[in-house]
Amino acid sequence: MELIFSLLQQLSVYLVIAYLLSKTPLFMPLTMLSGRLSQRLACYVVFSLFCILGTYFGLAIENAIANTRAIGAVMGGLLGGPIVGFAVGLTGGLHRYSMGGFTDVACAISTTAEGLLGGFVHLYFMRRGSVEKIFNPLLVFAVLLVAEVMQMSIILLVAQPYQQALDLVKTIALPMIIANSLGAALFMSIIQDRKAIYEKYSTSFSSKALTIAERTVGILNSGFNQQNTQKIAKIIYQETGVGAVSITDREKILAFIGIADDHHLPDTPISSEHTKQAIKNGEIIFADGYEVTYQCSIKSDCRLGAALIIPLLDSENQVLGTIKLYEPKQKLFSSLNRSLGEGLAKLLSNQILSSRYLEQQTLLTQAELRLLQAQVNPHFLFNALNTISAVIRRDPDKARQLIQHLSQFFRRNLKHNIETVTLKEELNHIHAYLEIELARFSDRLKVNINIDEQLLTQLVPTFTLQPLVENAIKHGTSTLLENGVIDVTGYLENGLVILKVIDNAGTYCLSEKELQAGLGLQIVDKRLKNSFGEQYGLTMLCQSGISTRAEIKFPFNGEKIRC
Amino acid sequence: MLKAIVIDDEQYAREELIVLLSEQQVLEIEVIASCHNAIEGLKKVNKLKPDVIFLDIQMPQISGMEMLSMLDPDNMPKVVFVTAYDQHALQAFEDNAFDYILKPIEPARLQKTLLRIKRSTKKEDYKPLTDKPLTLIPCAGYNRYTLLKPSEIEIAYSDQSGVHIISAEAENCCSLSLKVLEQKTELLRCHRQYLVNSNAIREIRLLDNSLAEIVTSSGAVAPVSRRYLKMLRDKFQLG
Repeated sequence: MELIFSLLQQLSVYLVIAYLLSKTPLFMPLTMLSGRLSQRLACYVVFSLFCILGTYFGLAIENAIANTRAIGAVMGGLLGGPIVGFAVGLTGGLHRYSMGGFTDVACAISTTAEGLLGGFVHLYFMRRGSVEKIFNPLLVFAVLLVAEVMQMSIILLVAQPYQQALDLVKTIALPMIIANSLGAALFMSIIQDRKAIYEKYSTSFSSKALTIAERTVGILNSGFNQQNTQKIAKIIYQETGVGAVSITDREKILAFIGIADDHHLPDTPISSEHTKQAIKNGEIIFADGYEVTYQCSIKSDCRLGAALIIPLLDSENQVLGTIKLYEPKQKLFSSLNRSLGEGLAKLLSNQILSSRYLEQQTLLTQAELRLLQAQVNPHFLFNALNTISAVIRRDPDKARQLIQHLSQFFRRNLKHNIETVTLKEELNHIHAYLEIELARFSDRLKVNINIDEQLLTQLVPTFTLQPLVENAIKHGTSTLLENGVIDVTGYLENGLVILKVIDNAGTYCLSEKELQAGLGLQIVDKRLKNSFGEQYGLTMLCQSGISTRAEIKFPFNGEKIRC
Repeated sequence: MLKAIVIDDEQYAREELIVLLSEQQVLEIEVIASCHNAIEGLKKVNKLKPDVIFLDIQMPQISGMEMLSMLDPDNMPKVVFVTAYDQHALQAFEDNAFDYILKPIEPARLQKTLLRIKRSTKKEDYKPLTDKPLTLIPCAGYNRYTLLKPSEIEIAYSDQSGVHIISAEAENCCSLSLKVLEQKTELLRCHRQYLVNSNAIREIRLLDNSLAEIVTSSGAVAPVSRRYLKMLRDKFQLG
């Protein structure tokens, strides 16, 4: 009985050491069953030490040692696998052997066997994919129990003389089984706790980062300006719980939220030397208030005591501005918020870049649209005027109508900012255009329009059909010596809208490359793809001398389209 | 009294111009024909020999410019170019001081042009506008037009009824003169009345009296006169 308590006392010291070790950075890798060489090596070193420690903390009894060596060996095996288990056991065993006594050989063998046992248990659970069970203290308790029983048997089998061995086992068996099993279970429970804390910590870290990322998405799309950065600063302030958050561009403060926002005002020039340095050198500056002093550059009694200044970099590593996190004087800057801050800077940099990209995209489409509108060629205008001037003489009423159509057509072309229209509006536009062309080619052009009623409310990008009709006339029927016929049809097919403009000229038989050069049609196709997806758009089909067919396909009343 | 032909592919445009011409007092002018494309125009010009033509630039298949280069320079009428908008052509007119009218036509501007025609006696040389090789040769078939690429022509010849063009498929009438064809295409002269496409020659048969015959891929035969045989020999390095 006395022996049990003595052993447990020794065990306490042993566990205190284990606990202290668990506080060091050396410890975390042990608990990750990565199977990497570094992890295995760490397991071997740490648990061999524990093995040897177990021997030293043992109590000498009748020329033998009652000990807690088995904990190190089995744990080494459990966390490091059979090879590590074997190695730890052998190391511990050899060490024990070097200390002599009549059980030296038996102890060396049994310790190695214990290490192997732990290793095989490790292997078993790894193969079954239930890694978490390895960390279960109850399991560890059971494994140690088996290991100790095994050890006692080995002592009985190997140690000579047998009578002495039997007496020894009778004395130490129970204390050692209890002490080792209990000790290992407690050791594992320390590991488990550490793991839980670490995981919680990293989960909260990732969830914070994710929440911020999620909440800030798209805010900068309309530009890196005061209004938008204000929103972002607010979100970061709420999510990180730091004292204050500020975002600057290269010259001035764009946003400031939190403690001391009474004198850190947006739209004022940057005054802090730290920030200027961060912008100048593109480096992170951490003025923690101890090693690097921090003093507010505006007000001497400012409550802010520490600042983390991270530059926002673009793809060429040019500084776009900074993000600054502050803590008040009485509060420590947690390392969590520090690395979070660095991550945030990266996030913001990317968002600024993507917003620039988007902005350029929009500008480009707008420019292209304008180009398309500007393509209303002067030839069309002057010919229209000429037609009208001839018609005035013969039929003033018709001339008046033509002028109406012409002005309708131009008015529509001058509306630069409309991105989408209903098919009905687009058809009206075509109608105005066609009235002019029909008058112009009065004796040799015929146009049939046949569009399903139900399609009329469908939204399409502006200038979807008109350029096709214009193309069919300009490059198609107007080059024919005989009469031109253009069919414009629209119908539904398997949930897709099919719009076709077919002429009887067959003169637009261009190669793929030339088609791409046809700016007008290219823009039509691009805008359709932008709105509905890559698989839709415009295809041109030409049978030389017979017909040219422009076909547009996109989903009927699909998602709300964007341009 | 000047004879004029109006050539424009748009009906209203033709009508408007004819009315404007009838309304002006500057010049006595009679519109003897109005044509709705260049091929028609070519035919009428060759047949009716007008003093002046009003020529639209943008027309189907054969533009006003191309039509101009198909006209025989020796029988060239005065040309007034009419266009709604064609920066390219306008630049060429400006560069060469040719007269042109913009659509919609301003009566005052038309009068000015007619005055100029009335006063000028010199023959315009349209060479700067017409020196490009032809890409399409209009031929009149039965009840339709055919447009042949110069490479499709095997033989072109003239007789009393006009110029004829032999291709692998058919023989057609053509309103272009042999001289124009010789100047504006790759066709070779082999006889006073014959042009031949050197790429279509299958054999050259030498006859007595320093004469010869050319047989084309499709079997058509063109005579070679003494005068042109030497040139052929040189070209094909025949002994």
